[in-house]
Amino acid sequence: MESEHLNVSRELTTRDRVQKTRLQGNQYTISLMNAGLQAGLLTSQEVARIQSAFMEILRDLIHKHTRGESTSVTTETAENILTSILYASDAYLLSFEEPEKAITYLKAVDPRRIYDKGVEKVNQCLEEVKLLYKELKASKLEIPVDAYNMTIDESLPVFFRKYGVIFDAHNTMASIDYPLAVDDMRLQGVFYMKQYMERLKLETGFCALYGQQELLSLLANYGRECRFNYRIELFNIFELVMSNAVFSILSGGAANTLRISEIQYLRLEQQLSSLAKPQIRTLINEAVASLQQELTIDSELKAYMDRCQENLIQRVKHAAKHNTLRKVIITEREDETKSLVVYFNKEERMSDVQLRSVLQEIMAFDRKEDKVNLIRSSFHSFHDYLDMLESDCLYGEEYEALFRSFGVTELAILAKIVFCEELRSESLNLSSILLLEQHFQAEWQMQFVQSLQRMSRDRLEAVERNMNDIDYEHMTFY
Amino acid sequence: MYLSRIFNSLNQSVQEQYRTELLALNDKTRGYGLVLTPEDIKLMLLARNQILYSYGRVELSIEATKELIELFSTSAFIQQESYADTLNELHEIYYYLKNETEDRISDLKLLHRMKDLFEEECGGSLDLLKSKLEEFASEYRRELQQNELTREGADDEWNPNI
Repeated sequence: MESEHLNVSRELTTRDRVQKTRLQGNQYTISLMNAGLQAGLLTSQEVARIQSAFMEILRDLIHKHTRGESTSVTTETAENILTSILYASDAYLLSFEEPEKAITYLKAVDPRRIYDKGVEKVNQCLEEVKLLYKELKASKLEIPVDAYNMTIDESLPVFFRKYGVIFDAHNTMASIDYPLAVDDMRLQGVFYMKQYMERLKLETGFCALYGQQELLSLLANYGRECRFNYRIELFNIFELVMSNAVFSILSGGAANTLRISEIQYLRLEQQLSSLAKPQIRTLINEAVASLQQELTIDSELKAYMDRCQENLIQRVKHAAKHNTLRKVIITEREDETKSLVVYFNKEERMSDVQLRSVLQEIMAFDRKEDKVNLIRSSFHSFHDYLDMLESDCLYGEEYEALFRSFGVTELAILAKIVFCEELRSESLNLSSILLLEQHFQAEWQMQFVQSLQRMSRDRLEAVERNMNDIDYEHMTFY
Repeated sequence: MYLSRIFNSLNQSVQEQYRTELLALNDKTRGYGLVLTPEDIKLMLLARNQILYSYGRVELSIEATKELIELFSTSAFIQQESYADTLNELHEIYYYLKNETEDRISDLKLLHRMKDLFEEECGGSLDLLKSKLEEFASEYRRELQQNELTREGADDEWNPNI
């Protein structure tokens, strides 16, 4: 390989330069051919020969794909296989430092050889990604954030199971929900996965520098501040951790803590609100540098943190200007004693068979009072209540009868679920939410809202008081 | 669609060879009173390319066409005067069916299925054949979907220790 590269470089002359802006990482082979034609490094006959050689590879792979049982395929299948072939070819040609060398190689060497070497590269990358996954899995944070856990435990293994180097090299083959702080979505296939896992490992490594209690407390405070259930939200944990660590340093705290007290917050607020934008930048730059030094961050993570810094600077500038720093600086709150902590025990759930049987009984009754009585006496689990409501086993005023039989706590819990989006806005309370024009997917949700709208003011206020006493944080489902 | 055109143009070089192979088939079909002229073959290949293009398919060889001719030329329902037209229609039905059965049935199986229906249930009617095959394809897809649903969920595991 080395000697091939050397021979190629000798053939180059300085005048034959390609315009690098014309090259696309995602379609490197094709853009190389186009750029090569324009720079006079390739003739149209050579391009036709190269194209024809790739079509021959495609022909062979289609034969392999159909196991020789079909001589035709859909254009979609053929295009997919061709994209996979070019992905492998790109993988090899991108390994040349200069595009001109890659073009000369393309000109001199049989494209099948380029393809084979590309497949080797893709395979090699896949093996590296498998190792990366093992390391990532072993260092996974113990935190109840669904997107993070499900991505590592479920989505990434799906990738390994479905990924095919020959027919699907360019496909990413997994639905990854957890967002990285910095992601390059232009990459595809196994090279995207490599980047994703490398970055997730870096992010996880940084978060692991903090104790689990620190992390859990930060997440809980973040959820309270944003008025959402952080367990099911899509957000980047690393950015949250890094920014609070920076604020800890800026407010005189230690680098290895994420807790910002109210006093620290007030000090930070005063400081940041009085600074001009360039000064905020300098301040954050210095704090990040200090954080890196105190935690003896290695060069790779340091470079990654530097890339995330700009986002933090912009967020702080914006928040300082609009007086919303509380959303950026997550402050430790006294654990407000909420009068209600709601536990939903999975153990009390009915089996599917039991549930189906009760639902049939409900539907068999004619009188709404009988239906309500049966529901009240049969259901003890909140999950079952939700399943029952979702099953559409009630009609019109039967819903009203059921909701009227509920206590304010039960109504408050349902309201917290139905209005979870609206409740994020600090300016909205239950009464104002009920005035909004809303569309619901489920019939029961619409009936629930109508039932609340018909409720007396006193009862509605009691529901609202209960809602304020329930934190999503305290709605433990298992 | 673009690929379909590229393949067809790449196949230009072998068009002559295809024509020779198809002409040679006349030796086998002549016994059934069926013969294609060089002009018939040329037009048939043009029609086939158009069918492939309109159904969004890429064809790599002439084998399926040869098999189709050999199979159907034995049918008593096909007469010389409509032979070339019938072959064109059969090509159209065949590629339509390849799409509708999601490429899950091999060329040979599909062609034999067409021939059996043509002979036995359709009495040589191409319209009837189309409608029977539509029913067949829809039933086939339904079974396919059912099988996939049964398999779903059971195959989502990957062992990192492998």
